[in-house]
Amino acid sequence: MATRRALLKGAAALSFAPAIAMAQGTGAGRVVVIGGGFGGATAARTLKALAPRLDVTLVEPNAVYTSCPYSNGVLAAVREMSQQQFRYDGVRRAGVTVAQTSATAVDASARTVTLADGNRLSWDRLVMSPGIDINWTALPGYDEAAAQKMPHAWKAGAQTVLLRRQLQAMDDGGLVVMSAPANPYRCPPGPYERASLIAYWLKTWKPKSKLLLLDAKDAFSKQRLFQNAWTQEYPGMIEWVPLSKGGAVTSVDPSALTFVTDFARHKAAVANVIPPQKAGAIAALAGVADRTGWCPVEPVAFESTLRPGIHVLGDAAVMGAMPKSAFAANAQAKVCAAAIVDLLAGRTPVDPILINTCYSLVAPDYGISVAGVYRPDKGVLAEVPGAGGVSPLDVVGGYRGQEALYADSWFRTITGETFG
Amino acid sequence: MRLWLLPVLACVFAQAGAPAWAADAPPGASSCTGCHASVKIADSVIPHIAGRKAAEIVAAMGAYRSGAWPSSVMGRIAKGFDDRQTAAIAAWFAARPE
Repeated sequence: MATRRALLKGAAALSFAPAIAMAQGTGAGRVVVIGGGFGGATAARTLKALAPRLDVTLVEPNAVYTSCPYSNGVLAAVREMSQQQFRYDGVRRAGVTVAQTSATAVDASARTVTLADGNRLSWDRLVMSPGIDINWTALPGYDEAAAQKMPHAWKAGAQTVLLRRQLQAMDDGGLVVMSAPANPYRCPPGPYERASLIAYWLKTWKPKSKLLLLDAKDAFSKQRLFQNAWTQEYPGMIEWVPLSKGGAVTSVDPSALTFVTDFARHKAAVANVIPPQKAGAIAALAGVADRTGWCPVEPVAFESTLRPGIHVLGDAAVMGAMPKSAFAANAQAKVCAAAIVDLLAGRTPVDPILINTCYSLVAPDYGISVAGVYRPDKGVLAEVPGAGGVSPLDVVGGYRGQEALYADSWFRTITGETFG
Repeated sequence: MRLWLLPVLACVFAQAGAPAWAADAPPGASSCTGCHASVKIADSVIPHIAGRKAAEIVAAMGAYRSGAWPSSVMGRIAKGFDDRQTAAIAAWFAARPE
């Protein structure tokens, strides 16, 4: 057995020798990208832009991508789903081959990806940007059937539409209950933006209703800004229950639309469970996810510390101090693409600097933001001291309105930069 | 013959829809296009910086960093870059097609 494995390994090494030799100096080589979101689509397009002779294949089962950023606006009926949707024509125009199917297996030593359509792709470098999957074993009572009654809407699409429909069908005076998970999870300020925009919608259409937000944490992103805005914009409408006040949800009962904590049972008219998450399932199959469910990477080219040759981007990866956001995934993808071009040419990538910017809407004309600058330090991406931070607590004039306008422009930029 | 032709064709096609990138982007520059689009976007409130004079970008970054110009996120971001890093990024954007 050992001999056979060694032989196979030798054969694999031999078969890759020409590709690597070709790659060095000529800008050629094969890169497969798994996942067509903000990380993967950006990585694929940037690789072709930097090294037009690279053979780049993007593996993505959906013909249309539905953006999570700004999908809370769909819940508040200030945006339509069509504004959240993007096709891959721009990715193809960049010279990327789009394989519209799923990856079912990754062999890190043979350097292949097996696809659901039966094909197998060879690669010199693999980029994985699989996003998140719901951790269906982490919250008792919450499984895929439960998500049809208590939607998570944390992967935008049918779940977003379901939650919006439930809100619209609710009687005025109903209680909306949301739960937010412990860190880490996709989009740290997302649950609080969602609570804000649902409250905005309730205030207009169902003003006797209230929102209860059960949280597995005692602190959250942009907390003071959100809480000040809730007091000002939605007085008495949003109740936030932190971990220390019994906010951690220990189980749910979908048949009764009920959230269970150590202290109480909360029955909802509309229930939104933002559940614990993990890296997209293919990450575990490829061996790049660790016991936490997320993917550790080094901070220069975002190469897996578990499987050399595989780079992991975006929400699936452990990126040190950098949060799981679309802006971060896009920024990481551009750095990763440049590093892969260097590595294929036999050059050592230089240490990168990355930026994250994240706007949240408290109301359609009320925006708040957080920004940070990051660089590798002691093996992880660390914040550059003295930079970054959130919007000021006290502002004059149209500052919040201006930040809402910036958020709108940002969304148009990031989707254009990602999908072409 | 075919082997020789394919990469050339790939090269030609790649020009059409790929973002305006160059491999020599200094550290930090690629993140900027998450807000400052590489192509002009109509009605965007975020300034287009590709093709702007390097001295203008350096001056703006200095004013954001000191707080002389009020800003949304730019003051917080500018503080993460020193003069040398800022100058390199400014020169790179100045050399991009507008």
